Amino acid sequence: MTPFLTMTLAFLAALSLYLAARAAPAPAAFGDAGAELPGWAVSFAAAGVMVAGMGLGDHLALIGRFGLQASHTALGLILAALTALLLQKRLWLAARIAGLHSPGAALGRYYQSPSLRIVMLTLALLFGLPFAANLLSQLGGLLEEATRGTAPRATAIWVTAFFLFLPAVIGGWRATVLVLALQAVLLAVLLPGIAGFAQALLTGPGFPTVPMPVATSILADQIPGVIQFSAGIGKETVHGGIFTGVGIASTALSLIGIVLSPGFLYLGMTARPGRSTAFTSVWLIAALLTGLLLIAGPLLALRMAQGSSQLAAELSAIEPFAGVGFLLLLIVTTQMAVSLFTTSCAILISSEVILPFILPGLSPVKARLTTRITLAICFAMVAALAAFAPLASAVFGSLALPLAVQMLPALLGLTFLRWISRSAVLVGLVFGGLIVLFTEPLGLILFEGLFIDLPWGRWPLTIHSAAWGLTLNLSAVLLISIFTRSGAERRHQDRLHDEFASTWRVDFGTKPARNAKWSLILIWAFFALGPGAILGNTFFSQPIFTTGDASLGIPSLWAWQLFFWLIGVPLVWWLTYGAQLGTTTDQGLRRVALGDATSAPDWIASSVVRVSARSVEER
Amino acid sequence: MSSEDESTAMLDRHALVLAFWLPAGFVALGLLHYGFGPGGAWWVAAGFAALLAGFVAHVIVNTVLGTTFTAREAGLGMVLYAIGMVVLVLAVLLGDGFATRFFLPVAGGMIALLLAVVFYMLTRFGTRDAFDKFDIIRNNNPRRASRLIRGGRR
Repeated sequence: MTPFLTMTLAFLAALSLYLAARAAPAPAAFGDAGAELPGWAVSFAAAGVMVAGMGLGDHLALIGRFGLQASHTALGLILAALTALLLQKRLWLAARIAGLHSPGAALGRYYQSPSLRIVMLTLALLFGLPFAANLLSQLGGLLEEATRGTAPRATAIWVTAFFLFLPAVIGGWRATVLVLALQAVLLAVLLPGIAGFAQALLTGPGFPTVPMPVATSILADQIPGVIQFSAGIGKETVHGGIFTGVGIASTALSLIGIVLSPGFLYLGMTARPGRSTAFTSVWLIAALLTGLLLIAGPLLALRMAQGSSQLAAELSAIEPFAGVGFLLLLIVTTQMAVSLFTTSCAILISSEVILPFILPGLSPVKARLTTRITLAICFAMVAALAAFAPLASAVFGSLALPLAVQMLPALLGLTFLRWISRSAVLVGLVFGGLIVLFTEPLGLILFEGLFIDLPWGRWPLTIHSAAWGLTLNLSAVLLISIFTRSGAERRHQDRLHDEFASTWRVDFGTKPARNAKWSLILIWAFFALGPGAILGNTFFSQPIFTTGDASLGIPSLWAWQLFFWLIGVPLVWWLTYGAQLGTTTDQGLRRVALGDATSAPDWIASSVVRVSARSVEER
Repeated sequence: MSSEDESTAMLDRHALVLAFWLPAGFVALGLLHYGFGPGGAWWVAAGFAALLAGFVAHVIVNTVLGTTFTAREAGLGMVLYAIGMVVLVLAVLLGDGFATRFFLPVAGGMIALLLAVVFYMLTRFGTRDAFDKFDIIRNNNPRRASRLIRGGRR
């Protein structure tokens, strides 16, 4: 299998290079593709990155360990689709109306806060370096195992990073997104194809005939309660599994972090006007991806009980294309996440820090060179982290998604809720960030190493850190906004919202229609993802309206998941097309000034002056 | 549209076409490989179905973007089809037991691909224009009127 896998990966790399060479853009469009990325490419890339950000390998491994309760979290993609729908259009409009080229610039200038720019850059770094490095490290391990040591882990990591770097450095942002789109379509075909092939040809019955081989204390096809009063992972073993009703809801909430990551937001902001957001949210994420993960996830996870390399070997013994296809599935998803997050991180650092503040006034050609050098440094750092510090990458990387979720109030303020103030956002971010830190390994390790043992572990009460943080974050935002919602700052923010209201009003319909839309979504979320999902444990196997048992042939919870997936898609569709939330146009755009784009924050400016003055004195 | 915009649009279309043919080709090769091995005729037919799906996706791309097959795409398609036909004939003549096991699915698949192309051309260009694409006699006609649209006919 090793030569065939190598040839296939080499072919994909060559194809990426070919596209990058043809896409080589003008210097000025290197970092943002001239904000004219084709809608289809953005759609496919965004959908692919959703799966990649989840970590397909991790998701399958979790299903193998916890059964259908872990698979249930895939329904959270519908929640992520809704979030993308709500934010992307207004953010795109803000970018065009106010000349804001990146998510950091948008938040920074809207709230007049350099701190928010720095927070967004920190998030970009978290996603672009440790989060991506953690995935790359797993990829290295997979390749080493699959090739039985022919490709050592470190070599696999460096070679992969190099071949992800090449398209980005040659063709810039456009080439990166085109390659991502190509890989996403491959992923969409391979996922059902390999699951179907394995189900049809591997020996022995698969899921659902055979239950998921989980540990005896884990409920394979049920949700283990609405909540469990556990101190958290690392402190206490949760009976039945960690994905309780609130566990699933909070994990689903953490998936919003992918949508709120700087790279994903930047992808949407650089899209050409059109219907790409609608297509991405409704058809690709809510309909296709969620369905594929819910159906194919358990089928593949059961066959992966001995590990992914073992399944690849079994498939390869029957048909080499199937074995390599399965490995490609895992490899390509990882490559997509690394490629998007690291490339966007380098581009954002270059365009938001280096070019405006450190090397201002560069010509487009030199600016492109600067971005290329930043790309090289970022990819080298990712590879180094993945190869030499996998544990640190995993620990720091675990913060990326829950911290990104903490940006939700800030982004809602920019896009819809004009009364959210800068101070509210900043205080909320501090509280939310701290809570995330202390419910994830990094904070726990640091605090317990330096001081005393904390009484809680990771995700106490089976609630994901993203939800812990967001609860406190939102509480702080709501409370502080009450006292700070008016003033000069508000007048500045109103400029953008007045333009939204006058020209780009979102029409949720009449009052009953509006109420129906939001009520149905909340009811759906309660039963699909929230505490109501517990009913799915027995709803289809022991119906409440009869005394007898029903024999559906599949676990009741699986039927419940598929049922709410099928209901969720029309809901997203209704919101998207009814309110025109996913459609953008450049007709009638009017410029709104939102302050100076290039003024350096005082502390950066004074630091630069201090360093440059000293160097003059030394001479 | 400036030449730079045009080349960007062409590249976008090219990438989209590649995005569909890459998985279709991979799946088709896998199915054909398994079909010609232990799988049998149905898997071979499934391989041709994957190729057909790739072609349909290509046609959809053309329809959505308002384009048609480029000369290179048409040329590559014809060359690959011709190679497929030659391989089929050689396999029938030389392959031991190939004709009894695989002639029907392979020949059926080749005919299905051909019919798909003919169907596309008829629906895209109409009967007369589709025929004109292959009108070698008119193409070699020295009469100046033959250079006009529809060869000067009404």
